[in-house]
Amino acid sequence: MNVRLATANTKVLIGVLIAAAVIVAIVAVVRLDTTGKRGSGLGKEFVYDVGDLAKIDPNLILYKESTPAIDTGFTKTQAIAVDSEGSIYAAGDKAIRKFAESGNLLGETRLAGMPRCLTVAGDGQVYVGFKEHLEIYDAQGKRLATWQRLGDDAVLTSIAVSKNDVFVADAGNRIVHHFDTTGKLINRIGARDMDRNIPGFVIPSPYFDLAVGRDGLLRVSDPGRHRIEAYTFDGDLEFSWGGFSAGIEGFCGCCNPVNFAILADENFVTCEKGLIRVKIADPDGAFVGVVAGPEQFVEGGASRVSEYGPGAQAGAFDVAVDTSGRIFVLDTHKGVVRIFTRKKGE
Amino acid sequence: MIRLVYIIIGTAFLLLSSGTASGFERFPPPDFESGYQQPTPANPAPRRNIYEYVDTAVLLAGLSLSSYLVLRTRSRRAILALCVFSLFYFGFWRKGCVCPIGAIQNIALSIFDRDYAVPITVMLFFLLPLVFTLFFGRTFCAAVCPLGAIQDLVVLRPISVPEWLEGGLRMFAYVYLAAAVLFAATGSAFVICRYDPFISFFHLSGNFHLLILGACFLLVGVFVGRPYCRFVCPYGVILRQLSRISKWKVAITPEECIKCRLCEDSCPFGAIRAPTADWPAHDYNKSKKRLAFLIILLPVLVFSSGWIGYALRPVTSRVHATVRLADRVYLEETGQAEETTDASSAFRGTGKDIQELYAEALDIQAGFGLGGWLAGGFVGLVLAGKLIAVSLRRRRTDYQADRAGCLACGRCFEYCPQEHAKRKLAKDN
Repeated sequence: MNVRLATANTKVLIGVLIAAAVIVAIVAVVRLDTTGKRGSGLGKEFVYDVGDLAKIDPNLILYKESTPAIDTGFTKTQAIAVDSEGSIYAAGDKAIRKFAESGNLLGETRLAGMPRCLTVAGDGQVYVGFKEHLEIYDAQGKRLATWQRLGDDAVLTSIAVSKNDVFVADAGNRIVHHFDTTGKLINRIGARDMDRNIPGFVIPSPYFDLAVGRDGLLRVSDPGRHRIEAYTFDGDLEFSWGGFSAGIEGFCGCCNPVNFAILADENFVTCEKGLIRVKIADPDGAFVGVVAGPEQFVEGGASRVSEYGPGAQAGAFDVAVDTSGRIFVLDTHKGVVRIFTRKKGE
Repeated sequence: MIRLVYIIIGTAFLLLSSGTASGFERFPPPDFESGYQQPTPANPAPRRNIYEYVDTAVLLAGLSLSSYLVLRTRSRRAILALCVFSLFYFGFWRKGCVCPIGAIQNIALSIFDRDYAVPITVMLFFLLPLVFTLFFGRTFCAAVCPLGAIQDLVVLRPISVPEWLEGGLRMFAYVYLAAAVLFAATGSAFVICRYDPFISFFHLSGNFHLLILGACFLLVGVFVGRPYCRFVCPYGVILRQLSRISKWKVAITPEECIKCRLCEDSCPFGAIRAPTADWPAHDYNKSKKRLAFLIILLPVLVFSSGWIGYALRPVTSRVHATVRLADRVYLEETGQAEETTDASSAFRGTGKDIQELYAEALDIQAGFGLGGWLAGGFVGLVLAGKLIAVSLRRRRTDYQADRAGCLACGRCFEYCPQEHAKRKLAKDN
């Protein structure tokens, strides 16, 4: 009798176990999120909020927007430059437009292709970079020269002109071409050469800027390494500064800074994409302050930074400076030039 | 008892090592204050093509060996050893992919989508077990299938499932096969892979719900032998039919059956059929009438099931991402949903015409309508066939392994005194 009872109890227990397992299995299948709409299910503590990084301590912001933004009128803007007289040149939509400080349009030069970069030399000549070659115009917009094509792989992204030298950053070939002012190639700078302790540039996206410093050294951004490198005109790497950090003192994201300019006091203005930040660093790379951050650049403030991600990746902002220390930021999203001046007493 | 401890330890190890691992794609990457140097991102190299052929060769060798062990050697121990090997090779080493069960979907998609090409190795994985089943019975299920192997190892206290319940539950496998082919053919989803209960174990990582599902199958499998193989496996449905007509078949006894009934309870899968008595005359007449009625009912069942499959197209088509997207966009456009989803935002970002999206979704839904007719009709046909089979009686004089249901595990060999006698004789000689 007891044996039969025990057998019956065991059968009931097995039945209950099987029924429970079947019910749990059905619940597991029903609750399986096949479309991903329920998210990861992780708590708040696991969420990485980029919005927090976009918030910048107001005490660090040393600049303010001094005048209304200048509307370039372009659908797609690429680059800006400022000449010694304070006129602003903007490149975009197969044209170069020249604006007065007040924002009045002073002139327009139509181009055969989409310009990718430009600079204005001390003599007023405008150097315009296209994808594979460079053209030179006078201040009235007359084309003076067209230089040799640099190959199908070339993607020109920046030009710097000193007294006798012209430097062209080529993101496609990850190299800087060094010409004289007649367009004759002198040398190439930055190619990987471990004998000369040159690691080569890491350029994950078509942002590769350069400028000539007052100390006579060529400064080149190496966005993949999050730094700015200093080269002699002969191509020797002298030093570099900068490093990765999501903090305000470093360069964040995959590849920053995307653009930079050198102020009259030899400080650097750096511009980052993604988390859009324009900052000031001293000649040794030490953080000085902020010109403007995502809250100033992105409509709706920090909370919308993420939504600007893809756009910011596609069209990074450009920066230029004038002799009085004003900073010009080309907002490629809105197609406007925003002008920042240092706050008094900062 | 020792076996129970092993099973508990093994299951606990699998559960612990299969915990869910989730992560966010982070931009920008987090800072480290400890001086940690972030490594350079690197993608693992793709698996070399040669290994696909190695896998196929191992499958072929496994099938050959399994067939030899089942039909010639008749050694349960050797079959079990091969089972363990297959579990580790095809399961844990190859992580359960590619497998013949999932390959059904690749084949179905390749038939209906001309842009989709099936790799030769996937084709071989699908075909080889079928060919072997045609000749030797379900020797793939016996010791080569990793899903079968993992269940086979936990059969601890098998109980018998009543025949009516077994037959009813098995209908699910047919429905699952029809659904899997429908969703694969329409390019919607590979549901067999999506709901594979053991994939989390094989990957030692995965979705928490699938892990629970797999654990439930193993728990049920302790008492009901190989529940996935018997009641769910869509590939098993095909193998069942081929096994019915296989050239050689598993025999419980190597000699004449002496009807000792020792083997009767040896099969944990309910695949041993007892000898049948003569059919009483009144039962025979009743069954004849029932058979006639069911044959008349067959087209009705096929049609009604097909219609149900067709009528379910608004539900079934939602498995397709485009239909889901069109539904969502419609809700947003008509103000029934206020917030956008990632998918609807991405669609709007493309600038494509919404009407085109609706038209595409309707096209897909029409495909589900036709597919629903076919899938439903298939299920109706199977149901009618099963009802008809109940009205038929096969005459058996011996204890026999059911040709369709026998998984060729070899457990019954050990119970047969004729087997022991033969082995003793062989040993003495």
